[in-house]
Order: sequence, then C-alpha cells, then structure tokens
Amino acid sequence: MLRSRYQDIIAQTIVRIMVPFVQIYALYVLAHGHYSPGGGFQGGVILAASLVLIFLVYGYENALERLKLATAGRLCSLGVLIYAGIGFLCLLLGGNFLDYSRLAPIFQVSLPRARSLGILGIETGVALAVMAAMYSIIMDIVNSDTGNGESHAAGHEIENGETSSDGK
Amino acid sequence: MKAFFLGVDIFLCLMVFLCLYRVVFGPTLGDRIVATGAIGTKTLTILVIIGFLYGRVEMFLDISLAYALLNFIGTLAAAKYFEAKGEF
Repeated sequence: MLRSRYQDIIAQTIVRIMVPFVQIYALYVLAHGHYSPGGGFQGGVILAASLVLIFLVYGYENALERLKLATAGRLCSLGVLIYAGIGFLCLLLGGNFLDYSRLAPIFQVSLPRARSLGILGIETGVALAVMAAMYSIIMDIVNSDTGNGESHAAGHEIENGETSSDGK
Repeated sequence: MKAFFLGVDIFLCLMVFLCLYRVVFGPTLGDRIVATGAIGTKTLTILVIIGFLYGRVEMFLDISLAYALLNFIGTLAAAKYFEAKGEF
C-alpha cells in the first residue's frame, strides 16, 4: 500500500536528485522571508515536503530511518522552545514579549541588526516546529492505513505506537 | 507588451477550464491525473506572467517554484495511491 517503496527507477532517481535542492530552497525561503513571500511556516512546509517526497518514493520504513517519529516530536518541542525562549529572553531583559531590540547588548550589534537576527531566530523555531508537526501528521495518517495487503509485521504497529507516544 | 502578456494570461485562464472539464468528466483516472498536472503547469505560467505585469517577477518566481514542487508531489502521491489500489 502507501507505505511500500515506489517501484520505479525514474521516480527514485528524480527524487534523489531533487531532495537536496528542495531543502536548499526551503532554507532560502526561511532566511529570505523578510524581503519576499515566505518565512518560517512556508520554509517548514517545504522542508516537510522534501521528507514526504522521500517517504513517497523510498517507503515508510526508509523515511523513519532518516527521521524517527520520537525525534520529530522533540524537534517540534525544540522549535516552540526557541520561539518562546527568545520571547521570554526579551521579557527578562526588560522589554515586551518578542521585543528584539533588547537583544542588542547580548549580540553586540546595532538595534536594526538585533531586530533582524531576532526575527530570523523565531522564524527558525517556527520552521522546525512546522516541519516536525507536518511530518508526524503525514506519517501517522499513513500508519493508520488499514487497507488490504497488511503483510507488514504487526510488530511495526506496536513499535510505532510506542515511538509516537514517546514523542508526546 | 503588457497588453500582449495580459492577453496571454487571459487565454491561459480559459485553457484551464478546458483542463478542468477533463478533470471532472475524464473517463479514466489517467486523464484526471494528467489534466491536474497540466492545470498546475498553467497556473505556474500564469503566476509568472502576473509577476511580470506587476513588475515584481522575483517574488512571483518564488511562489511559482513552491507551486511546481507541490504539484509534483501531488501528482506523485496520486499516482502511487492509484497504483496501490490497482486501478491502473
């Protein structure tokens, strides 16, 4: 079913070539979000799209080898932590929540530069959280696939159930 | 030149409806998938031309690149799904 490997050498070769470029493009969308359409959410979605591409063509188990569901859960939490951490750091330094100008003394940079860096920091957190959440959602939807051809060992179900509960 | 590109844009928009007919009434699943891909490709071109008309091609190029990527993934996923169901 959907979890299996895509038995097509054209699709496999194309995806193997495409995935690094897709990820570079995601990083561009993330880092260039100030000046063009994009930002943390869009960059995260494109990063997740590259992982979904790997899953679609190289199979469910192969994608899990690259990024386990438990790791995805931790990455999601880490993204939220980066976002909230920068926000509360500004709060601790005497500004408002996400008042980036207060970060200027820490980074030893000018006020506009501090604002730019602060926004880049929270966008990175958002991108991490969105990527991990999208990946977990897709993998969980596929794992609940109960069509015919369930020759996949039942052990996988238990194993995946453990990792997903572990991730929360 | 802008009038020409506006005309091209409107023409492509009309062509999308022809593809949409194939998507809705297509006899086979292959017709529907190919027509969906064609609509995606046309949308990409329309986006770039709109960017040219607004004088901000570089921004619309980013959007159309992301659109092309998602279109590719969508077609791949649909093909895999129908292959797994044994419809082809």
